[in-house]
Amino acid sequence: MAEWREYYQNEDDEVEEDEEDSGGYVYTSKIISSDKDLVALVFYGTEQSKNPRNSFKHVYVYHDLDSPGAKHVQDIDKLQGEKGAQLAEKTMGSGETSLGEALWCCSNLYSDIKLRLSHKRLMIFTCRDDPHVGDSAKDRQARTKAADLKETGVVIDLMHLTKPEGFDVSLFFCDIVSPPEDESELGLQTEPCRKLEDLQKRVRAKELKKRAQSRLTFSLGEGVNLAVGVYVLARTATKPPAVRLYRDTNEPVRTKTRYFHAHNGGILLPNDMKRAQVYGKKQIVMEKDEVDEIKKFDDPGLVLMGFKPMERLKLHHHIRPALFIYPEEEQISGSSCMFTTLLLKCSEKNVFALCRYIPRRNTPPRFVALVPQREELDQSQTQATPPGFRVIFLPFADDIRTVDAHVGPTASDEQVDKMKEIVHKLRFKYRSDAFENPMLQQHYRNLEALALDMLAPEPIEDLTMPKVQMMDDRLGPLVQEFKDLVYPPDYNPEGKPAAKRKPAESGGGGAEKKPKVEMSEEELKNHVEKGTLGKLTVPVLKDACRQFGIRTTGTKKQELIDALTILATRLNAN
Amino acid sequence: MARAAKSALVLCMDVGFSMSNSEPGQEPSFEQAKKVIQKFVQRQVFAENKDEVGLVLFGTDGTKNGLAEDGQYENITVHRRLMMPDFELLEEIESKLQPGGQQADWLDALVVCMDLLQEETMGKKFERLNIVLLTDLNVQTSADQLDVIIDSLKKARITLQFFLPFPVDGEDRADGGGDGPGPSAAPVRPGKGLSRQQTQGLEMVKNIMTSLEEEDGLEEVYTFSDALQKLSIFKRIDRRPMAWPCHLTIGSSLTIRIVGYKAVTEEKVKKSWAIVEAQSHQRDDVKRETVYCLDDDNETEVQKDDTIQGFRYGSDIVPFSKVDEDQMKYKSDGKCFSVLGFTKQELIRRHQFMGSQVVKVFAARDDEHAAVALSALIRALDSLKMAAIVRYAYDRRSNPQVGAAFPCIKEKYECLLYVQLPFMEDLRQFTFPVLENNKKFKPSESQLSAVDALIDSMMLVEKDEDGESVDVFKVNHIPNPQFQRLFQCLHHRGVNPDDPLPPVEPWLKRDLERPQAVSARCQTPLQDVKTKFPLKVVVKKKEQKTSADVFGSSADEPDAKKVKVDEETEFNLAEIAKGNITSVGSVNPVRDFCTLIRQKTVSFDQACQQLTHRIEQLLGNRSPEYYMKSIACIQAFRDQSVSSGNAELFNSYMQSLKRSVPDRNLQELWDLLIQDALTLISKDEVDGSTFSKQDANQFLAFEQKEEVQAAPVQEDTGDVDDLLDMM
Repeated sequence: MAEWREYYQNEDDEVEEDEEDSGGYVYTSKIISSDKDLVALVFYGTEQSKNPRNSFKHVYVYHDLDSPGAKHVQDIDKLQGEKGAQLAEKTMGSGETSLGEALWCCSNLYSDIKLRLSHKRLMIFTCRDDPHVGDSAKDRQARTKAADLKETGVVIDLMHLTKPEGFDVSLFFCDIVSPPEDESELGLQTEPCRKLEDLQKRVRAKELKKRAQSRLTFSLGEGVNLAVGVYVLARTATKPPAVRLYRDTNEPVRTKTRYFHAHNGGILLPNDMKRAQVYGKKQIVMEKDEVDEIKKFDDPGLVLMGFKPMERLKLHHHIRPALFIYPEEEQISGSSCMFTTLLLKCSEKNVFALCRYIPRRNTPPRFVALVPQREELDQSQTQATPPGFRVIFLPFADDIRTVDAHVGPTASDEQVDKMKEIVHKLRFKYRSDAFENPMLQQHYRNLEALALDMLAPEPIEDLTMPKVQMMDDRLGPLVQEFKDLVYPPDYNPEGKPAAKRKPAESGGGGAEKKPKVEMSEEELKNHVEKGTLGKLTVPVLKDACRQFGIRTTGTKKQELIDALTILATRLNAN
Repeated sequence: MARAAKSALVLCMDVGFSMSNSEPGQEPSFEQAKKVIQKFVQRQVFAENKDEVGLVLFGTDGTKNGLAEDGQYENITVHRRLMMPDFELLEEIESKLQPGGQQADWLDALVVCMDLLQEETMGKKFERLNIVLLTDLNVQTSADQLDVIIDSLKKARITLQFFLPFPVDGEDRADGGGDGPGPSAAPVRPGKGLSRQQTQGLEMVKNIMTSLEEEDGLEEVYTFSDALQKLSIFKRIDRRPMAWPCHLTIGSSLTIRIVGYKAVTEEKVKKSWAIVEAQSHQRDDVKRETVYCLDDDNETEVQKDDTIQGFRYGSDIVPFSKVDEDQMKYKSDGKCFSVLGFTKQELIRRHQFMGSQVVKVFAARDDEHAAVALSALIRALDSLKMAAIVRYAYDRRSNPQVGAAFPCIKEKYECLLYVQLPFMEDLRQFTFPVLENNKKFKPSESQLSAVDALIDSMMLVEKDEDGESVDVFKVNHIPNPQFQRLFQCLHHRGVNPDDPLPPVEPWLKRDLERPQAVSARCQTPLQDVKTKFPLKVVVKKKEQKTSADVFGSSADEPDAKKVKVDEETEFNLAEIAKGNITSVGSVNPVRDFCTLIRQKTVSFDQACQQLTHRIEQLLGNRSPEYYMKSIACIQAFRDQSVSSGNAELFNSYMQSLKRSVPDRNLQELWDLLIQDALTLISKDEVDGSTFSKQDANQFLAFEQKEEVQAAPVQEDTGDVDDLLDMM
């Protein structure tokens, strides 16, 4: 019941005083990527001391562990630049360095927090590879403290900054930071240390925890079942939802939705209501449970139908972003081995597995293609694509529309060759993470500007816009040459549709807005009898609904028609 | 436009006495034909198109048609004139369509149908006129008018379809549109054993059909069982794709006029469920109200106009009004399809496709220059194995996308296929542990070969006699089972309002199963796999969550707690007597309720109603503290009901609460009620109660079983926002 707490993450930044910038980056990106995380900011090697019991000298807790807000960012901003340095000098000053004391102080911060933290991390920002300049007692103290912290589950990262003669980690910090994370016995190859440059990129994207969307049984038939976790590796990111606030106090309000009886005003409980649809002039009523039951075909899971060669997977059979599955050894032991064997064999034979997929209870089935994907590493030996099956959704007959193809003349070899030159000039290496969503980026910057009282939001670079100037330069005379080959001299590809629109506009020029036509009861009855309501436009139908005082929730045409049909039958009955 | 195209169709069914005859163990032709008609009309009703349908019966005891005169055209009844089919027609077919005791000439009936069609379609525009004849042909016909009839059919451009109990040709009826996955129907009655009339009739049918349509005429003659199988599939929801005219641009000066169409997209059910009142079944009786309230104890309601929207920025919420948001938001400059560059197709991975659709892009219609220009692009991309990366915006109001346009060259046409690609924000870079080189999971040679054999045995693509590979399980030929099931249930409920829902149709179930041939083939390899791979379900150590775990040691101290509540009530009474309590508040509803009853400021019914309202409110929060409060309320409700001798309100509330337990996930609350033995008020306590002591005790009992079933399901809730997204 208390799951929200378990997901609280905690990150603790320790920032050396001349490196406030990086701290600021961590704040702003943290705020957007995972706004529930707690972050503290601690400076060490300061003149002044400020910590909970003031028991540590030269350690300044600038921000206590808290979820970062606009105020924190503004505080950090104040420390930046020339002026900021002066302010920092004034408030904290610079003094003796003792990393051990600082670490000790941090461990106190952690223990003072009442919440259960799922993840604790400490980042050390520094440019000095030998902070205690040979004082071995202090080195030892720092090592012990670091070991204590690590024992309590804190991951210590070093965010070292470039130093002219190079930062030598082996001098001291190799003993402080946590060893590369070894995720379980499965032997994960990861590089936990995120580089500072990554942090400085100011990523404005919501970060999501690696969590299975669901855990399902994958049945091969005859009782051969393995367990898999279903993961979402790509999903259209949307603006975070808005919160409603009370105007006077800016405090969040909750919404409550109730149903009540229109005549006696009594509250309607869920079982005082049923569901209905209208077909063939008849209202068909069902219980809520029945509506759910209709959608139930089988229990959730993946059921293997068979295999098909990869070329049978059509490019245009796409209806939803793909999912990803990975074995769940914890549910059915032996799953990983079975899964790996399938993966190897499918990829070797170049086939995909066709499965029936029911993601959860009371959900109708879909067919999916499980496409094998073997692990790929990039140059730095980190995982570029994970091993597992991609789950590609396949369309049913209803999902494929009949499109009347436009048949026209085809291009000659000469024309095609000219286009090839154009294509050649404009080729580039596509990367899936190369484009940012300009809508989201603008939104985040707007928020930032409002929260931090900035005059104007930071401008965005819209990467989705074609770089027209550059393209024109690269293409040079090619475009004109191509146009000469395919278009006659008097042809203007942009002109025509406009010309077509004109007569329509001038024809209807007199009628700016059609006067509202009231529909009489007789007319309505007539329409219903002849079934001609469908010929009217949606605005006319809406007007009619309003006129007869019918409350319409739907805006779909069919719903409007249904509402009017019911009304007409009632009128007839009277 | 073709959109308005509709057809007029007359169903003409033989109900004569021979239709009711059948060989032992076989369904009479009448019943089969009736089913065909039912399915047919049902499809029409749910497809909600503008087609009009009429129904003519022949062999009826009575006569009712426009041509009946002087003993001619007798025993033919026009049951329904041309109209859009509705449930009334379905109900009539269900209840009123009975076998008749007469026989009538099917050629005469055909003439009546033609007359009906011509008369009713006068002055209206129909794309197609069609007559469907269902008969066993077992009647004497006069063939002398045959040529005249064929002539006028041709003239009026009326098409014909025959549905017979037996195939036209005994031998070759297997061919035809047999590409469906299902096995072909079991042979109907063999071509032998036909009566003289039937043989003669069959000849006439052949004669008519071949003279109407020279070659394919006989394809329009079906058997009942074939037809039933085909008709049981509800019509595809047919949507005309909307044309999206735009310009494809490369740089600033190369423009090609194009038109896009949605070619593949997930079709949703056309209608949504409306909420109606349970008794009256009236939609207008249910009012929905959304209120905004502050997060304080009183849940102070505020007006919607007094709220503004904000967004979380870290721990702060930044007020950001809709107006400001609109003003500051990203603005795109209208529809576009602009090439950003070209890239190798292999760099675009299939699993990175985003969005919910595939758009086919053609050159503008009747613009041959655009066609040539686009063709040059398509062919260039195809031969270079490249694709265009484009910025796509549907219109001024929609957000831009980045997507890929792939070349697609078909025998008959060429086009670009556009698919959306991800933005950086859409991707989640999760890493997963290594599988292949992990010693623990390394498969042995024998395991590898077992899976190899399994894959070979389960290939869904087979070679036919000509060496062509045939796909035996084409998903894109399967109708969406969700729609099929929905319409089946709607139809059933529409015709039989009081029946429970029917089971899933067998053919639909079969469509979703592994093809039988494949199942048979993979038996041995699967057994082999089963023995070579040890797969064991891990028994969870996690115990079932009981209410005691959730609420601490409440099981040990229910008594103490109850006392506390009572004390509090008593203690406060004196103080309350001074203050004037007029309604049941949310802070201390029990106290308010008891006071109201005692002071009789409002009627007992009203006080109870106010209290149940508060309970509902509390239950809406679904958290332990509120549960305790709700229980206290229910306890007070019960106590007061017993002491005022009115059991009805309490009992009916409890029953409705119980019904809503699974829906609202209130099992935990229910367990607490069990602990406190808060059950219905029995006869022993209040005279007016309709429940015996035993009833009351059982009332709480059975729910425990359900909890065990329901509990494991809650575990796989997973990513909550993912779930919501997918709903």
